[in-house]
Amino acid sequence: MRLARPLENLIDQLLILPTIGPKTAQRLALFILKLPVGEVRQLAQAMVDCREKVYPCPRCGYLTDVEPCIICRDESRDQSILCVAEEASDIIAMERTGFRGCYFVLNKNFNLMEDKGLEEIDLQPYMERLQSGKVKEVVLALNPDIDGEILSRYLAKITAAQEVKVTRLAHGLPVGGDIEFADELTLRRALEGRKEF
Amino acid sequence: MKIKQLQLNNFRNIEKIELNPDNNLNFFMGNNAQGKTNILEAIFFLATGSSFRSKEDANLVKFDSRGLYLKASYNYQDKNANTTLSYEQQKGKIIKINGKKPGQSNANRLKTVLFIPDDLFLVKGTPAKRRNFLDFVLKQISNEYNFNFNNYTNILKKRNFLLKKEQFKSRSFTIVNDLFIDSAVKLLMARLNYVNILDASVREIYEKLNVAPQQLKIRYALSFPLDNGKINLETLREKLSKEVAQRNEMEVKKRITVLGPHLDDMHIYQDGRLARQFASQGQQRNISVCLKLAELESFNKISGYYPVLLLDEVLAELDSEKRQLLIDYLLKARFQSFLTSVSLDKINLSQAAIFTIKNGCLMRKE
Repeated sequence: MRLARPLENLIDQLLILPTIGPKTAQRLALFILKLPVGEVRQLAQAMVDCREKVYPCPRCGYLTDVEPCIICRDESRDQSILCVAEEASDIIAMERTGFRGCYFVLNKNFNLMEDKGLEEIDLQPYMERLQSGKVKEVVLALNPDIDGEILSRYLAKITAAQEVKVTRLAHGLPVGGDIEFADELTLRRALEGRKEF
Repeated sequence: MKIKQLQLNNFRNIEKIELNPDNNLNFFMGNNAQGKTNILEAIFFLATGSSFRSKEDANLVKFDSRGLYLKASYNYQDKNANTTLSYEQQKGKIIKINGKKPGQSNANRLKTVLFIPDDLFLVKGTPAKRRNFLDFVLKQISNEYNFNFNNYTNILKKRNFLLKKEQFKSRSFTIVNDLFIDSAVKLLMARLNYVNILDASVREIYEKLNVAPQQLKIRYALSFPLDNGKINLETLREKLSKEVAQRNEMEVKKRITVLGPHLDDMHIYQDGRLARQFASQGQQRNISVCLKLAELESFNKISGYYPVLLLDEVLAELDSEKRQLLIDYLLKARFQSFLTSVSLDKINLSQAAIFTIKNGCLMRKE
């Protein structure tokens, strides 16, 4: 069975989105067909606007449409504590915690197996942040996988060389979790990272 | 761990089999191509999620049916559990333990020790065979080993990649090298400890399964020299770091990692001489069987219960005297075993449960 060409085209376009398979794409396309033209136009316009106006803040990497971004211009934030993340989406997660420090997103161009080593990371903006003298502590909030570990060790080394304290997020038990059901690996990590109480 | 009930549907040539195995020795008898090994394969498939004969799950489905279903109910340490496995071309493979998706912990999974004729190469074959042997046990025993092993493999891949690209002076290489040493040491320590336990077990078993036993000894062989004396994480790390530094030139030249747990070996000595070079074919077979039995014993020493033993066509490899000694050992053992053979061939099997299998159908012999 052949679909009308514009419909087929819309389905193909929706398929480029992550987590969208052929069935969902078709469902979304048929739903859009039922919407009033005005709403569809709004949706399309919102996509274009967002893509055209939003970009990573050159200072911290948070997604913004103004410069400096809302985080950088907020003077009530603690300038002495800097959280380093891999992606802008990680900042959104950190913000939900109520963290009141500042951020830095690495322009992550690091993938060893694709021949992009640590040298490929542009550290200039990061060094400038450290050398401004305001930062007293760097919190490494990188993913707990091997690439994250390599990045963490690397950043820890250069940060410590600037005589800035380096910490990293703890690994361990989820809040509200049951010790009984924690796997031994997580529990071991939690034990290693225990705190004086 | 003992299997109380086993169910196979549309697996290989078997349309449907339900059996309640004996707690001790279960003996499956039948001609070639009747389905003896399929029963062992099904148990192993339930335990590990992969077959020892086929990489394609689709090959395991009976040729005229759409999907297979396996179920085992078993107990261990006074606990009951069951594992089910279904496979259909469209839905893929679904494993459930006690009706739920398996979690990170593998505590309630079915555990097996498998012996197939190919394992005779354990003694004679390449070091990789012996490393796989160690890794398989350690992964079943400890989640942490499993994690460390995957970690190590991953880091090694990166390290080799950097060496191949001649980036041994890059910042990445320094850090990857540190991580490499950290994770290598963890694997080494676990394997060294395990081989000690294995050594003690295998000696005892070897004496029971031989009429005139020679002395058997197993040692873990590192890919770099280690002084005698106290071995712990720190001394190992120190030594490995030193060795890695010393072989820098060689690695730069060969552009590959030249030492580490992925190149180690397990040496088996018979009367002080390397069994790989000096033991006869028959002796090597016998040692292979003993190693597998020692795997069971060591598992029990560490985890407090025995896995299920699966022995495929092992009797054909042994002389009649050793055959009877092995059967007697299994009959007296505290673990459950499943054994396949073409014939009973002058073996005294007084207390075993004997099943005959013909064309995918099973019958218990009274």
